[in-house]
Amino acid sequence: MAATATSAGLGTQLEGIVGADHVRTDEGALVTYSTDATPLQRARPDAVVFPATAEEVAGVLRIANERRVPVVPRGSGTNLSAGTVPHRGGIVLVLTRMNKVKEVSDAELVAVCEPGVRTIELAQAAAAKGLLFPPDPGSQTVATVGGNVAECSGGLRAVKYGVMRDYVLGVEAVLPTGEIIRSGGRLVKDVAGYDLRRLLCGSEGTLAVMTELTLRLVPAPEASGIGMAYFPDLADAARAVSRVLASGVLPVTLEFLDRVCIGAVEDFAHIGLDTSAGALLIFGQDGNPALIERDLQRMAEACEAEGATQVRIAESPEAASEVLEARRTALPALSRLEPLTMLEDATVPRSRIAEMVEFIQEVAERHELKIGTFGHAGDGNLHPTAVLDDADEGAVDRAHAAFDEIFTRAIELDGTITGEHGVGSVKLRYLERQLGADHMALLRRIKAAFDPNGILNPGKLGS
Amino acid sequence: MSTAADTPGSAPERRGVFTPELLDRCISCGFCLPACPTYALTGVETSSPRGRINLMRALETGVLADDDPTVREEASFCLGCRACEPVCPAGVQYGPLLEEWRDHLWNGRRRPWKVRPLLWAADSPRRVRAMGMVRRHAGRGREAPGPVNLMLGCFERILYPRVSRNARELVPELAAPAAQGCCGALHAHNGALGRGNELAKEMGEALPGTVVTTAGGCAAHLASVLGPDRVKELSQWLVEREGPPVAAAEGTPADGRPRIGLQDSCHLRNGLGVWREPRELIARVGEYVELPSAAACCGGAGSYAIVRPNDSARVLDQHLDEIADADLDIIAVVNPGCYRQLQQGVKRRRLRTRVLHLAELLARAA
Repeated sequence: MAATATSAGLGTQLEGIVGADHVRTDEGALVTYSTDATPLQRARPDAVVFPATAEEVAGVLRIANERRVPVVPRGSGTNLSAGTVPHRGGIVLVLTRMNKVKEVSDAELVAVCEPGVRTIELAQAAAAKGLLFPPDPGSQTVATVGGNVAECSGGLRAVKYGVMRDYVLGVEAVLPTGEIIRSGGRLVKDVAGYDLRRLLCGSEGTLAVMTELTLRLVPAPEASGIGMAYFPDLADAARAVSRVLASGVLPVTLEFLDRVCIGAVEDFAHIGLDTSAGALLIFGQDGNPALIERDLQRMAEACEAEGATQVRIAESPEAASEVLEARRTALPALSRLEPLTMLEDATVPRSRIAEMVEFIQEVAERHELKIGTFGHAGDGNLHPTAVLDDADEGAVDRAHAAFDEIFTRAIELDGTITGEHGVGSVKLRYLERQLGADHMALLRRIKAAFDPNGILNPGKLGS
Repeated sequence: MSTAADTPGSAPERRGVFTPELLDRCISCGFCLPACPTYALTGVETSSPRGRINLMRALETGVLADDDPTVREEASFCLGCRACEPVCPAGVQYGPLLEEWRDHLWNGRRRPWKVRPLLWAADSPRRVRAMGMVRRHAGRGREAPGPVNLMLGCFERILYPRVSRNARELVPELAAPAAQGCCGALHAHNGALGRGNELAKEMGEALPGTVVTTAGGCAAHLASVLGPDRVKELSQWLVEREGPPVAAAEGTPADGRPRIGLQDSCHLRNGLGVWREPRELIARVGEYVELPSAAACCGGAGSYAIVRPNDSARVLDQHLDEIADADLDIIAVVNPGCYRQLQQGVKRRRLRTRVLHLAELLARAA
């Protein structure tokens, strides 16, 4: 890597921008910033830098651009596609010092915050004023708003409220060449220029470093409720999803877990899930109590019509939130089963979920893998997760082969290789399969327009 | 950049510092970050549970050496509060990993010099008894062990002898033979894991049957060696046992009841899952006030306050702010390390709040 030869001088230059206390170049720190939450992916950076302002970010980027040193922006490092792993060394730019919620306006229904605010903190700040920030990715207690915007994260409420891109009104961002730009703002309507804020949303830290976000809020719903339905098989639950969506109800939440996941979650959360069932569908609604009651009832009927063996409605908000919190832990809880966990997020149109689920089961059997599937059923967003025994040589290769088939099938079903975890570095090789050569070439031209020297998160999107 | 030694799953050479099953549990999800007091202080992942586990892995595979300054600093900077364990969905047992880490790094002359006299003093039951002699703790010279025995503690019997006395006043059936030493927690947490486990076994022999302790940290260590069925922390034992409740609330007028907060013992809460019990008992004798940071480490952390006084004080600050804001009459503790830490902090800030061990609090109300 080109950067190492000059890394001594690099450290000093960086210290000149952010101060000596906010640059780490010791081996230990470099090791701890070699990974995110993606298994098997690690690479050591040359420096870790913690800027406090947009100007400091700009200063760091100018130095990096002059020296042609890679820069990888990072929040809390919960990325699941190795998007924050510095595969080509260089600088890891940690934005968690920029952690202020600057404003929550109930008059304008917007929040303005820095990128290093944890998503749950933003949600709490909004809730304190009777507002809701709907995107609630599984890692919201840890992950940052900046990271969630950069990945265009979704969450458990996307079926009704949409995903991060639906809430980004404006961004302030620093270009890799050091200029600070703003796109959008607090306006609901604003068509002046290309919609760069939307382009940056989901750009995975490859185009610019976001330093301030203006986000749309909605009035908090009066109440919410959830129900649970158990099925003999995940495909039954998948068919119930289609029936629910066709029943004239737009639920806030439609999540499912298969047998493997139910067992793992129950083992962690101890909330009395029925571990003998083949699948669990969690359905939820928010709004006024009468609407909630009606919709939960309709969804329960749809589940029964698809062969649910047991349906119940949570009696209290506490019981409801317990179930949802438990669902959020599905991935880490699965990792209790075996030392290595590989998670994917293939997504298909909602009418094709049952087909996809059956295909995943078939692939798992054929490759002799234990795959637990959970996901945001209402969005067609599946998280098939392979749990692999370390001692089983070749299991990783078999898992890669299985996921290769799953991605291909998802694309055939008009789906996508990633619904919300991002392309990162681990899915880059599948991207062209989905987008085609012309589309890939355009991505590269866009990348080059923002980042002529290719310093920002190289080896990911746009390369 | 990615080397074989850096990559789990490709079965790199292991040095045998850590138990593989413990080290391999972590999936790097990062759910531990918000729970970690030292990550909150620094904002640097190297000082977080996930970061430290990455350091351990690098040490285990030889990517980083024993004398790497960051490895050594982080092994010492960690409070060992184990707040990362209950929030870890993957079930990583961080406490045992830290013990193995320090056991490897701190052998012999590498142990922080400030803890060496403490370990020496606690190492021999004879020395512990001799030190306790001058204090009026509950231990009776030749008393034989009963079915349920009170552990006197090592430094607790010297610093806070009233705690064991009051525990015994509350429950006279507790036997308290003086022939007992230190439980070994201090050793286990400071890089002498083997000796720490030996001392725990000796304690199990000196006190057959159920061991009741007034120190949360000791309870967690003893339970890890003797098993959780034999070892009970005082509040846990009082709530679990059958019989007349201690200090029933009935009869106490509602107004004029003291406002009482609690500082959880980290190892009691995070290691043994005991936190409801002390709250339940406090609510019987006063108005219980849950402080926002009640469950977070106060910075006492065993010998940490002695080894790293500045960091320890930084961790404590938030707690003192909250105690002052809540204007508590009493802040209750269930572990001698927290007792000393809060007593000093309250004194430094000149707060009116009194620090009392739960046993003292209950004995006053009884």
